[in-house]
Amino acid sequence: MFSKYRKFINGADDSSLEIDSKVSDYGPAAQSTLIGAGVTIEGKVSSHEDIVIAGEVHGVLMATNHHVHIAKSGVVTADITAKIVSIEGSVTGNITGSESVIIAATSVVHGNVECPRVSLEDGAKFKGSIEMNPGEPAQSVLPIFSVSNAKVHRSVKESGQTATKAS
Amino acid sequence: MPQPPIKPRATLTEQATKLLPSALLPELLGCIDTNKRLVVLDMGHAVASTVRFFGEYRCQLNFIDLTAEQFVATPDEDLSHRQRVVLMRQALTLAPSVKLDICLFWDVFSYLSDAYIKALIEALEPHIGPATGALIINPRDSRCYLPFCRYGVADQDHFMQIDNTGTQPTVFARSQRDLNNLIDYFAIDRGRLIAEGRAEYLLFENRDSDKTDRSMI
Repeated sequence: MFSKYRKFINGADDSSLEIDSKVSDYGPAAQSTLIGAGVTIEGKVSSHEDIVIAGEVHGVLMATNHHVHIAKSGVVTADITAKIVSIEGSVTGNITGSESVIIAATSVVHGNVECPRVSLEDGAKFKGSIEMNPGEPAQSVLPIFSVSNAKVHRSVKESGQTATKAS
Repeated sequence: MPQPPIKPRATLTEQATKLLPSALLPELLGCIDTNKRLVVLDMGHAVASTVRFFGEYRCQLNFIDLTAEQFVATPDEDLSHRQRVVLMRQALTLAPSVKLDICLFWDVFSYLSDAYIKALIEALEPHIGPATGALIINPRDSRCYLPFCRYGVADQDHFMQIDNTGTQPTVFARSQRDLNNLIDYFAIDRGRLIAEGRAEYLLFENRDSDKTDRSMI
């Protein structure tokens, strides 16, 4: 799906957009989709696999049965719904996790978090509310996968130019 | 007579974490009804131990670090009371229907002028009910230095104290009597001395309080 944008994704293997090793201590260990640094997506992103965001996402981010990881370089201005959400970067928006939400020391989060289990590390900058319910069972939802009505932007910072691609 | 603000004594550059015994935290947390959803307001920097502690309960934990707000960091003393209340309401971002069970004010009042405390108290008023309890950390008296820390709940009997980095904002040190007069519908139920020249105060909603000095410490 992202093959035509492969060359824009920094740090990704040229043959695949998927990564099969741990991105960080918090990121998904299994095979994941990477939205690389320098990539900006505007619109609704839905995924039926784990997703790592090192670039920018503005809109809505849904991975209801999977793990969303926001890397240190990641900037998300969106409501996020996922099974597990781990954040090392910046998020502005509401976060709903059916299993756990992890807010790392490097993160900046403005929004409301709703999840049975939430952990926050000292050093994290958090403003908002955390709704927790340790007795609540993890929710099971049907997987979906699509990137719909999304625009993908690539900022060429080195040259000062900006190229825009729309899917 | 209000005391002049005390300038910070030092700039801390190293972070240190320690447990601080509390005599009043058990009183405040002892009121928790585990059968109902708890609503907590923490007016400090979000601290890991607080999230961990309240994660054991069905609860909504609201973090609003007022000292990080621009209008608190660089206050405009020309604003009217009404304008200050509006700023406070915007910073609080609490839904109108939210009623708080616990307010952890920590030391935020020491970083606010009288005018801004009054504005905060008025902005909070719709969210305070008869069952609301609160906790404040304040310099023991108006001559005491206030350590530059962030606080959390470690367990039923202890605060978590983490040294802050950066430059401490101006501290408005107040006596218990002056503080009690500013908090309007709250009344200081009791106070206890804690380490490093500080006192902790337990507050409950009491709209009929006569606010006379009872010198509880």
